[in-house]
Amino acid sequence: MRLTVDIASSVPLIHRGKDRSVRLRIYYIVLLSCVLSRQVTHYKQYPPNTSKVYSYFECREKRTDPTKSRKVKYDKTVFYGLQYILHKYLKGKVVTPEKIQEAKEVYREHFQDDVFNEKGWTYILEKYNGHLPIEIKAVPEGSVIPRGNVLFTVESTDPECYWLTNWVETILVQIWYPITVATNSREQKKILAKYLLETSGNLEGLEYKLHDFGYRGVSSQETAGIGASAHLVNFKGTDTVAGIGVIKKYYGTKDPVPGFSVPAAEHSTITAWGKDHEKDAFEHIIKQFPSVPVSIVSDSYDIYNACEKIWGEDLRGLIETRSADAPLVVRPDSGNPLDTVLKVLEILGKKFPTEENSKGFKVLPPYIRVIQGDGVDINTLQEIVEGMKQHKWSIENIAFGSGGALLQKLTRDLLNCSFKCSYVVTNGLGVNVFKDPVADPNKRSKKGRLSLHRTQSGDFVTLEEGKGDLEEYGVDLLHTVFQNGKIVKTYTFDEVRDNAKLKESELEELLH
Amino acid sequence: MAAQDFNFLLATDSYKITHYKQYPPNVSKIYSYFECRRKKDSQFSEVVFFGLQYLLKKYLTGPVITEEKIQEAKLFYQMHFKQAVFDEEGWRKVLEKHDGRLPIRIKAVPEGRIIPRGNVLFTVENTDPNFYWLTNYIETMLVQMWYPITVATISREFKKILAKHLKATSGSLEGLDLKLHDFGYRGVSSQESAALGGAAHLVNFCSTDTVAGLLMAQRYYACPMAGFSIPAAEHSTIISWGRNREKEAFERVLDQFSSGPVSVVSDSYDIFNACKHIWGDKLKEQVMERSQDSCLVIRPDSGDPTETLIEVIKILEECFGCSLNSVGYKVLPSYLRIIQGDGIDLTSVDEILQKLSDEGWSAENMFFGCGSALLQKLNRDTLSCAFKCSYVETNGKGMDVYKQPVTDPSKGSKRGRLSLRRNSDGFLETIERGAGKPEEDLLVTVFENGSLVQDYSLEEIRKNARLQDEELNPILHNHEQELLHNHIFNGIH
Repeated sequence: MRLTVDIASSVPLIHRGKDRSVRLRIYYIVLLSCVLSRQVTHYKQYPPNTSKVYSYFECREKRTDPTKSRKVKYDKTVFYGLQYILHKYLKGKVVTPEKIQEAKEVYREHFQDDVFNEKGWTYILEKYNGHLPIEIKAVPEGSVIPRGNVLFTVESTDPECYWLTNWVETILVQIWYPITVATNSREQKKILAKYLLETSGNLEGLEYKLHDFGYRGVSSQETAGIGASAHLVNFKGTDTVAGIGVIKKYYGTKDPVPGFSVPAAEHSTITAWGKDHEKDAFEHIIKQFPSVPVSIVSDSYDIYNACEKIWGEDLRGLIETRSADAPLVVRPDSGNPLDTVLKVLEILGKKFPTEENSKGFKVLPPYIRVIQGDGVDINTLQEIVEGMKQHKWSIENIAFGSGGALLQKLTRDLLNCSFKCSYVVTNGLGVNVFKDPVADPNKRSKKGRLSLHRTQSGDFVTLEEGKGDLEEYGVDLLHTVFQNGKIVKTYTFDEVRDNAKLKESELEELLH
Repeated sequence: MAAQDFNFLLATDSYKITHYKQYPPNVSKIYSYFECRRKKDSQFSEVVFFGLQYLLKKYLTGPVITEEKIQEAKLFYQMHFKQAVFDEEGWRKVLEKHDGRLPIRIKAVPEGRIIPRGNVLFTVENTDPNFYWLTNYIETMLVQMWYPITVATISREFKKILAKHLKATSGSLEGLDLKLHDFGYRGVSSQESAALGGAAHLVNFCSTDTVAGLLMAQRYYACPMAGFSIPAAEHSTIISWGRNREKEAFERVLDQFSSGPVSVVSDSYDIFNACKHIWGDKLKEQVMERSQDSCLVIRPDSGDPTETLIEVIKILEECFGCSLNSVGYKVLPSYLRIIQGDGIDLTSVDEILQKLSDEGWSAENMFFGCGSALLQKLNRDTLSCAFKCSYVETNGKGMDVYKQPVTDPSKGSKRGRLSLRRNSDGFLETIERGAGKPEEDLLVTVFENGSLVQDYSLEEIRKNARLQDEELNPILHNHEQELLHNHIFNGIH
């Protein structure tokens, strides 16, 4: 190949003042650079006289997969996060003459060739004052939709800008992330709801049963904000402060904040006292926060000793005087999650008087609880609550924290999120297009113009090839949210939460 | 200078707001460190240290505290905790005494260095006794270092595998740093992660489609152009021609990009048909006209990677022929190559190249694209990254501290003040309990009291991270392999 670049040497700087060029370079980003390099070259590859490219996004169904027996099916997905992308990256004036020049120069170096579509971007700048001539139609945010249905469509609205539809693919496909976090978080809510209902008879406190511990375990500050906000679609407990900022800025809530936390210890606030002073550390901290819940990590040296001797004996008096609104929450943080939780409950159950609730399950006194925040993912969560139920412990006793599994251990493949072209207009004629690779039927894409409808029985169905126009299936559930640079429909976070809440029918299904 | 609209006070785990009340009375220093803990049976025994400079420049240097930010944080935490627990006075003191600059010292391994697991990579301590609580306040942000470290490490592991096969089947390493192309932009969780992950990959390679990574490397690591790409098709540019016009679509791409390499995804309908009847027949002449500098790179994108590639390369051999290189392996004509960009991870890339080699094919024929396995399918547990307090000073006295949970010995942390040195056998090791000699310490102060003290360029980082001779040697007998493993484990770098 021609590119024989010595990786250890730099290509010479092509700009005048170093500072100025560095500063300018930041600004031209996002839209001109939030593409895969190859997309820069696509405007030359479409058929001549193409005047429209229409694409869509879905979480594909995965039909034939005999090798993997996934415990969790993820039949439905929560649609969330488009509004963030529209506000942050796509609305308003996204290009300026300087940005176009900078992009041109960067791409010339990057491709060692002139391939950047300067003319196309200049046209957008001049005709639309830098606003994007595209239209995006989407299901309402928070909607819970079965796999394999269209979730949003994107089309160019100016015949000169047919290439723009797939330019924005890269940035729009990143919606896989908030969708996947929100979906995985909601599936965990279903598990918790089922066991809470079975072992206590009600759903009190459900929204605080899975706390976001993921800030440090995500790949960047921006990811933390997006992911944490997606979890808050389903729950209200979080330590990932960034998520709240995203919700405030891009969605809005009627309440002052959508997420809450409590004072809690970390290992350094215990170990800083020295190995022989764990009790002093515990005592000091519990006294600092007498009238709110306080969580204290107790495994720095020996979780079982801490539970039995320190909490169970030395400091028992201090704990017993705490109110139900201000429990001590004991936090194990190592060892096999289920085994550790059961053993901790057993020890605490011996030291503190438990009661049997109306469903026949044991509950610790209201001034003491447990939080398991290590090794929690959707599978271990299921294992722990099932294990607790078998040992006759109510789920009222416990809350969970999840970090990496909640916000990071997810990929685009989990829900098969995909963006594909389905319709083009060439020489004035509309053509339904699709891919259908012989070696993988799962990768087949939908054809033509798409719409989403509800059938008589209340199920969702995606109509292809423009059939939605026939009005047999009623109204299209996709609404225009973005048009020619403007956001034309927004959702508040309250609406998002409302759309995503667990339905009665789902709860009934869970209990059978 | 750190971003102005970013509120540093809101960039931490909520519970850390409450920690200033939890440390022992009269604490005047909290000293913590970061490592990639050793884990038995892990496939990664060493890590590439990269990315700290980005965090420092973007979030930590200069005046990061202002009165507005304090007020914003105070209001926020009042509602978030439903009580007043935020240390307003403490932060105001930082503002007044230090102009809003952080009285913190960070010492770190130089970026790009390869360090065995289980060693200290950086340390953090407060420089003003009033602000002991600051050290662990920034843990949340600094622990995100796990990401660029892990991407750079995995990317380098790919490089080792590619180097091994390339050397064995072609006799040289020419073109190695273009062999793994970053396809991960769309599959990563945010723009910022794309930039950081993309740059981390560029420590080892210089081919990428993740444009954000180039800009990150430019802005934070002084590299004007860290990576390159070539024109390439995607499914929409092929299928938009209609099912019966795949040939026309292919032809268009060849015509539009007649000079320079071009990659064409060929599996929209039937990859084998495309290779045999379109590339190998209808467009054969146009393909053969292309030079080595403007080769066609065919891209399969579905099906089992190894099986698909074997069949594709056989078809191309039938249609275009091949030649033998100096070490006796088959190479397609220089105008024709293949890129596999679907289903690639460390395991599959090794399998593919091994199978190709078994069938007599050189790794020169292949390029690889990797998306989520490079930039997203990793987490903090991949390299067991952790930040822990190891030393405190209380009432003027220093004390080594640690955790040692009986429920998991691998979670035990190091004790005391730490340094990193090369011992008399040439291996890297961490000295605990403040016993290290300052002149031997490989940790370098990179940040102090709000200022950046070191500024690494990508050029230096790439030099530090390059593959060593031992890692390039593809054929090792068992005992040599063990020796090598131990060398790497202990760090001969």
